[in-house]
Amino acid sequence: MKFWGPILLLPLMLWGQAEFFGYMESEVDIMELDSQRYSFGYNKFRLDMEARPNDNVLIGANVNIQKYWGQTTWNIYDFLPGFSGLGITQNIELQDTILVDNIYMRLSFVWADLTLGRQQISPGVGYAWNPTDIFNTKSLLDPSYEQTGVSSIRLDISLGNRSTLNAVLQPGGAFNKSTKQLWLKTGLGRFDVDVTLAELQQATPASMLFGDAFDAKRTMVGGSLVGEILEYGIWIEFAHNMLDSVHDPSSGTMQPRELQYDEYVLGVDHTFDNSIYIVGEYLHNGFGTKDKSLLGLQDYLYSLSGEGRSLMQDYGFVYIMHPTFDFVSLSTLAIANFNDKSGTLAPQLDWNAFEDTNISLQGSLFWGDDDTEFGLQDWGLRLRVRSDF
Amino acid sequence: MNVKIISFIFLCCSFIFAQSPTAKEIVDRVTDVMSPVNAYSKGSQTIITSSGKERVFEFESWSAEKGKSTLTRYTKPAAIRGQAFLMLNNADDIWSYFPRTKRVRKLASHAKKQKMQGSDFTYEDMGGGDVFQKKFNSSILGEETRDGELVWKIQMLGIADQEPPYPKIVMWVRQSDYFPVVLDYYDEKDFNSKTLLLSDIKLIESFPTAMTMVMKDNKERSSTTMRNLDITYAWEPPKGFFSERNLKK
Repeated sequence: MKFWGPILLLPLMLWGQAEFFGYMESEVDIMELDSQRYSFGYNKFRLDMEARPNDNVLIGANVNIQKYWGQTTWNIYDFLPGFSGLGITQNIELQDTILVDNIYMRLSFVWADLTLGRQQISPGVGYAWNPTDIFNTKSLLDPSYEQTGVSSIRLDISLGNRSTLNAVLQPGGAFNKSTKQLWLKTGLGRFDVDVTLAELQQATPASMLFGDAFDAKRTMVGGSLVGEILEYGIWIEFAHNMLDSVHDPSSGTMQPRELQYDEYVLGVDHTFDNSIYIVGEYLHNGFGTKDKSLLGLQDYLYSLSGEGRSLMQDYGFVYIMHPTFDFVSLSTLAIANFNDKSGTLAPQLDWNAFEDTNISLQGSLFWGDDDTEFGLQDWGLRLRVRSDF
Repeated sequence: MNVKIISFIFLCCSFIFAQSPTAKEIVDRVTDVMSPVNAYSKGSQTIITSSGKERVFEFESWSAEKGKSTLTRYTKPAAIRGQAFLMLNNADDIWSYFPRTKRVRKLASHAKKQKMQGSDFTYEDMGGGDVFQKKFNSSILGEETRDGELVWKIQMLGIADQEPPYPKIVMWVRQSDYFPVVLDYYDEKDFNSKTLLLSDIKLIESFPTAMTMVMKDNKERSSTTMRNLDITYAWEPPKGFFSERNLKK
């Protein structure tokens, strides 16, 4: 949905006295990778519209216009530890886009909401990772950045003040290839609990090289628990996954053999009396490997594409923030890959310079050997300015 | 003889009824006056930092069960438009909703003491209900005149095992309508860390209502002014209103 999208939205804007809001965001990045320095960035304009023709109907949409500048053509092999500098080239180009990201209608009944269309769906309670989220991939350097829309039908049924039943269907070509997810959420004392069941067609590492014929059917059973112990916020989010087939490298085909693996996140957060806020998470991804020598091209591509939750098995994430001055906060984010012993440290300054205008400066320093996930990169610097309206 | 007895009874009654109310009775009345069963309001929140910088927010707020359940949704500025907070059980349970990520997060109790949108009000300050009655022991320190009004000066000491929001609060309450006009909040070091001033008190649907509330942070020298732009107590919450489902709307 590219250029005709905004034209389609025009009647919606005019009908129902739409509200308009959005933001303009500009980003400048400088990065050193394998002793090569790159500069790049983008300008992004997002226009959101919401119309409420009556109390029971909400129509929402947004258009994103994004223009890249600087380095826009990247050799994907430059980002793959062990492949960088070998002279292999497979370029990807960042294309300027005009995209209708979300376009949906929500019908509200007494006990349920039915939302149809392309909409943002963000399940899970984890901050940096969400094992039960089968729709999105988060950027670890900016986990709270908005997610793109998912074309789907969503039903939210209220079962009381703290209990809901939610169902999402993301239609595929055939119904058995459609993505389906169901959640049941409730409150148990001071804790929120949910259980979820999902089924989807999942790309495998082999799909990265040989196409979607190498996808597998994935069934996921998971859940989460969020609450507090001794004034520390705690959460657990877990997913038990079953793939119905696996790639057999010797025959080069997918074999109907069940593969099971677990993913889980353990998290904790706390605000101290001096206003320092700290959040920490540990991710275990059973689909990743513990030994970097077992990683192949398809594994790197799988992780880079966002299909895999992570490249390897065990990760840590820490974020510390302090509102240091008036409208200025200082923070530091650290990510560690415990398996290949690489990581990144990213100090950040956020300044609410004017009402609705934020300026953020983030540096990133990487550690680890050159053939590790994070050690490949030397350093990075990001300046982002965003003004909402 | 009978006339003498009746006169004596009348005298006793007048004496009894002329007695000042106890601290507990005053706090009970304050709770009643300050906690209408349901309320809907539109308000503004102006933060003035110690360096004199100003930010203005606007919000809508709904409350029920005498402030036990509250939902607040910010409408301005654009950067936080749609951010919402659901507080149940007198702010013991708080959920936040961020429209940018479309995620609801349950906040742990340490978050109750966080500044709401950087203001001088904490989430806990925004919770209503019977906190003064349940979490404090009260006593009368004296009577004074403030702005031409006769007021009681009430000291409220937190009951440790009830997890009071502050160790001590001193409150000045108008004798005419049991409406508090000043609250001094004390920290663990017995320092008067914050002061809340309630003014422009109007009678809205039989309830005295402070149209302006100023919270001063005496440590950081900042202040936050909350103004009621529109308020009604005739609002009735639809079933399931104070829920995660509605938080996200």
